[in-house]
Amino acid sequence: MRTSHLVSAALVVMVAAGAHVAAHHSFAAEFDGSKPVTLRGTITKMEWTNPHAWLHVDVKGPDGKVVAWMIEGGAPNALLRRGWNKESVAPGTTVVIQGFRARDGSNRASGGEVTLPDGKKLFIGSTGTGAPGDAGGRK
Amino acid sequence: MKTLTPLVIAMAVAALALTAAQQQSAKNWTQPHTPDGQPDLQGIWTNYTSTPFEVPDEGDRPDFYAGDVDGTGRGTGPSSFLTDTSDRKLTKARSLVVEPSSGRVPIMPWAEEVRNYRLTHIQDDWVNFTPWERCITRGVPGGIFPAGYGSGYQILQGPGYVAIVYEMIHEARMIPIDGRAHLGSSFRLWNGDSRGRWDGNTLVVDITGYNDKGTVATNVATQRVRAIPQSEQLHAVERFTRVDENTINYEVAIEDPKVFTSPWKVAMPLHREPDYQLFEYACHEGNRAVPNTLSAGRAKDREARAASAR
Repeated sequence: MRTSHLVSAALVVMVAAGAHVAAHHSFAAEFDGSKPVTLRGTITKMEWTNPHAWLHVDVKGPDGKVVAWMIEGGAPNALLRRGWNKESVAPGTTVVIQGFRARDGSNRASGGEVTLPDGKKLFIGSTGTGAPGDAGGRK
Repeated sequence: MKTLTPLVIAMAVAALALTAAQQQSAKNWTQPHTPDGQPDLQGIWTNYTSTPFEVPDEGDRPDFYAGDVDGTGRGTGPSSFLTDTSDRKLTKARSLVVEPSSGRVPIMPWAEEVRNYRLTHIQDDWVNFTPWERCITRGVPGGIFPAGYGSGYQILQGPGYVAIVYEMIHEARMIPIDGRAHLGSSFRLWNGDSRGRWDGNTLVVDITGYNDKGTVATNVATQRVRAIPQSEQLHAVERFTRVDENTINYEVAIEDPKVFTSPWKVAMPLHREPDYQLFEYACHEGNRAVPNTLSAGRAKDREARAASAR
């Protein structure tokens, strides 16, 4: 694209695991990495807000009772550049979400992988938070 | 290894050829000027990099600095996914900290202790959060240290001023370049008081007048320096030098005799990206991190009380 970037290309360092990225706040202060959760539910709303997007999901429990969950995602600008848009998870979409539960026991989670009805997977999480499996913030 | 050697040589030759091409390009490049005669730095610039902030040390605790104070951030989890930097090929140098030569910021032990206290007591009090977590500011110069996303900076110039719009956390910084004096010690600001001047084609910005509430660096990518306190004696001098059409060499010298045992310096390039769009980052709109983190702390308190009652 530009000379300096061509030089960069010649001296390339692939950075998938080494890029320095950071989320707005620490994962561990709010969520528990030892409490993974898998939620199957129906999207009711996505809030495209900073510093974190929030996904709202109705999850039906084994007793048939529907419980509203909130899933924290990355910043909208990061999600947009990662491939998300406002149509990605329209209300009514059924999804499977992997995440980690909030430490206060409420129905909140830090989101990770979101699987859509067609099997496509999107990552909603922040990077660099220190969340399990998050390579972004680690050496 | 044997098969790799010719490839390595070829890459080195290609790199040298490109470096020569870049130097030639820079040689043929002439610094443009604004209508009022300032060296023209205007445009959209990004700071993506794979260079660590400091030279790593085996005593570093990156998980701790990221806020994982009790190790529960570890474990099984989602697979690694692409970030918004992953389609870029980035250079990796030794460290962004170039002085002292160790590549390590000379932080006084008391300041590290304060940082450690804040990280381990973040669930107890909002004052233990960094200004960024509170959506106040990423700081000056901290707001220009790479974070990996929200990495756009737009520089605009007009008579008497240089303005820098930071994509994250949509801060706009006005730098007077008309020779006016600093505000004076009675004014104490989160981001200090910037005064610019031109040294040839280099924009030099002197910053004083900080309060003692902020931190010189707020994001995880700054590793050990994140959440280190600052004093009112913090003083920074930035230098913006455009070296070719697409590159500004950015440097900042930082001193705070109450916090650091000696001055230190960061150096890094800013890359021109005319097609990059700065998106709004209205930080307060959805900042649930503070109440949710404090709520996690109160849940821990309840558990502790219940355990002691048993």
